[in-house]
Amino acid sequence: MPDINALKLEAKRILREGIVDVVVGFKPGDSPLHPQPAFFRNEDEVEELIHNGLCKNNLANYLTRLPKQEKVGILVRGCENRSVNSLIVESQKERDDLYLIGIPCEGIIDWRRIVEQAGEHISMVEDNESEVTVHAPTGVNSYNRFDLLHESCQRCLHRNPVSADTLIGDPVANGSLELATQKVKNFESQDIEARYAFFQKEAERCIRCYACREACPSCYCTECFVDHNTPRWTESGATPAGMQGWHIVRAFHQSGRCTSCGACERACPMDIKMTYLTEKLNHDMREKYNFECGMDAETKPPFQTVTLDDKNRFFVGGGK
Amino acid sequence: MNLILPKIDLPDLLQSWRKKFTVFLPQKLERFSHFMPLDDANAEILEQPHNTRIPPKALFLPMTEALVKFTRFGTYDDAELEVSPRIVFGMRPCDAQAVQLLDTVFEQEQYTDPFWVKRQEKTIRIGLGCHVPCANGFCTTVGYGPFSKDGLDILLTDLGDSFLVEVLSESGKTLFENLHEASEELKNQAKEIQHKAHDAMPIAFETENLKEKIEQNFKSDYWDEVSRSCLGCGVCTFLCPTCFCFDIVDEVQRQERVRNWDSCMFRIYSLEASGHNPRPSRIERTRQRLSHKYAYWLDQIGLIGCTGCGRCVSYCPVGLDIRAMLRQAQSLPFEVSHAE
Amino acid sequence: MPNNSRSPYTPMPMRVLRAYYESTDRSLKTLELSFESSEDRKAFFAKFNPGQFCLLSVAGKGESALGVASAAWEGDFVRFTAQRMGTVTNALHALKAGDPIGMRGPLGNGFPLDDWKSKNLVIIGGGCAFSTLYALTKHVHHPDNRDDFGKITLVYGTRTSGLCMYKHDIASWHEREDMEIHQAIDVPEENWLHHVGYVPDVVKEVAPSPENAVAVVCGPPIMTKFTLPALLELGFAPEAIFTSLEKRMKCGLGKCGRCNLGHKYICKDGPVFSLAELNALPADL
Repeated sequence: MPDINALKLEAKRILREGIVDVVVGFKPGDSPLHPQPAFFRNEDEVEELIHNGLCKNNLANYLTRLPKQEKVGILVRGCENRSVNSLIVESQKERDDLYLIGIPCEGIIDWRRIVEQAGEHISMVEDNESEVTVHAPTGVNSYNRFDLLHESCQRCLHRNPVSADTLIGDPVANGSLELATQKVKNFESQDIEARYAFFQKEAERCIRCYACREACPSCYCTECFVDHNTPRWTESGATPAGMQGWHIVRAFHQSGRCTSCGACERACPMDIKMTYLTEKLNHDMREKYNFECGMDAETKPPFQTVTLDDKNRFFVGGGK
Repeated sequence: MNLILPKIDLPDLLQSWRKKFTVFLPQKLERFSHFMPLDDANAEILEQPHNTRIPPKALFLPMTEALVKFTRFGTYDDAELEVSPRIVFGMRPCDAQAVQLLDTVFEQEQYTDPFWVKRQEKTIRIGLGCHVPCANGFCTTVGYGPFSKDGLDILLTDLGDSFLVEVLSESGKTLFENLHEASEELKNQAKEIQHKAHDAMPIAFETENLKEKIEQNFKSDYWDEVSRSCLGCGVCTFLCPTCFCFDIVDEVQRQERVRNWDSCMFRIYSLEASGHNPRPSRIERTRQRLSHKYAYWLDQIGLIGCTGCGRCVSYCPVGLDIRAMLRQAQSLPFEVSHAE
Repeated sequence: MPNNSRSPYTPMPMRVLRAYYESTDRSLKTLELSFESSEDRKAFFAKFNPGQFCLLSVAGKGESALGVASAAWEGDFVRFTAQRMGTVTNALHALKAGDPIGMRGPLGNGFPLDDWKSKNLVIIGGGCAFSTLYALTKHVHHPDNRDDFGKITLVYGTRTSGLCMYKHDIASWHEREDMEIHQAIDVPEENWLHHVGYVPDVVKEVAPSPENAVAVVCGPPIMTKFTLPALLELGFAPEAIFTSLEKRMKCGLGKCGRCNLGHKYICKDGPVFSLAELNALPADL
């Protein structure tokens, strides 16, 4: 866990020295299970800053929501740092307008797993390196931290920030490629009927609340394809066609743009698994193009490297 | 009428109702519980203390339903709706109260909604009181309670080995014909459980003058403060048992005009064809959501349009908590109105 | 098939009687619709009042809320003028005489004509929102109704002369002795004999008397925004100033929640509100 005092000192310093206008971090919520994203604009406000394993949002999401001209300091874990880079590559923010406070990450705890284990009346959660201690009226219990992690964090490959301006805490060991790709490989090994059945079962629980979209830093379009009405690209209701359409197209729009942060799944109120789709795309990007999204702030995702003289005939000027 | 239903008899009773009714009860779906029809397998009676993830309003106002059938020749007909007699078993009082609130929207004298009414008329609602207080609910704060009877035909109180069955309507009577009348002792025991449960619910915020404070601070920075981290998704409204907004769209392939749940938290909800949007940012949309529940409902029917189920608190992806928002609203300045 | 038990979401069958462009730039088209069923016709006219609106329906495209632009005495038809804007209004523009179309209505409250009896009417319109005011003026002009009201003062502004609607009638109104009419366009044009300028300024210039009068304003939001204070300045009381509101609508029945304004629904409780009523509602427009 990061040294909270060191984090606060750094946040205060960059505000005090005018390096940034705002620092994006977390503050405590009403329940210890739900810390909230927060925006600190002066040193006094920074006193509220917290950072722990229950901070479940990808803060890079707010870069496209804050006023464009603002200089932003932001707390970034591995995935968040990559999302920030991806937004810089896509011209959504200038690197010079950002100050990244890096935090090596031990993974985000899935609060629902705590509730499943200890009930919903949680008064305190102590997040230690390998153990999480939960205080509930029924007693104080400790759980293995890895078991409580959100799935996307259990298989996380890049836990350390990749381009932070400063790092608070010592780097942690990165994940293994074998573990990271295991889920995709398991899914790929099933026959087409089984894969489609799984896709249907997950997608059709959808209520079209678009929490997955809103929680994703890459989903910053002013008008999403599902909201477009001339023409309408997909049914907007909670029908099988509409729900499948949403889930498959949402995933495809992430090709080479997803940092495996898992914010979409964590936001879903219906516990729908979605990252198996984006992980497959990420896997293909790695295998076919040797590309991982957001590892630096310059390299464009393969599908954004279109040129007018592309040799494929379906491009303007192609086939010549 | 107060009857006693031994828990051991419940599975058979549920099955016997299936002869005449479709019986919906909370069952496990993935990692949460969901109202689903009972089937041949003796369904598990979930001993989970609290409400389902999706409120049972969905049984009356489905996420998607056809309103009109049309043809390419430009003719229109009512969409057909067959509803078999149904029992909804295990509705929590907050959710039943919410359905009753929604009746005032869908069953107005001027225009009644035939789809809502049809489902209503065919449904017997059996409530299960909450003897264990839930962590994020605040029913007593908003004037309701863990054993509220509004909107229910039957209210059950968990007595351990049995349920006390309070029959609240004629249609509820026929379902429990062979049960014994509860003894005074058990009735008193139930009352005590109900009172204890009521007292165990903390008051999450004060509601006095809350409406005035919300109304009079329409232009306050408060709305910016409480909406800053809001993502603008529809979780709070879709999981809300009293939210009822819907969109109407034409599905050409199916030749149906359908209604879908919609949310005032979405940008396109209020976006007009001219490009003008009366609620252009999350600030105005958050204000609309809270004002509707805590001011406009009160003007319309004199009740708060939130039953305190706590779903929006539990499932907000950024941990926004309506209780904290309203506590903060209590510190807003206001003037007492001397009208009337 | 006449069907009186139809759901309030199901449109009644109508047919396009006449369809013609209303403006020289073809952005405005008028549709006059006749009823396919006499029961529907009777039910419609039993409820109809100027200021109400209907939802016109094009199968597969959706519905669009439009104010009724005809008076009941004109005949067994209903008139609408649609500005080409989105999916549905584009489809409406493609309709021609003889085409089927769906309609729900009349919806909303309409103008409170009973309260306006024996009063002078100051009617102020801008752009295509003038349509319901046209219906109002036509209604008042009928010999059976004319004596119920006092003097009529009409101010009607459009961006250009080509965008002026219902030209034939309006030209004839200049000849009438029982009304005063002021037409305006935003920028000067050759051969234009009337006012040049924005509606709020024309209202100030014309300065209608608030004495025993009500003013009704329908126009684009920006025009309404500046006309209302101008009327207050002239001495009209908030209770004597009326306007018709627009917001996105879907159901038209006060259920879908979309046109919610404070504790009111514009579709069901409006669209016509007095300024006094609006002042008591949140500025959520």
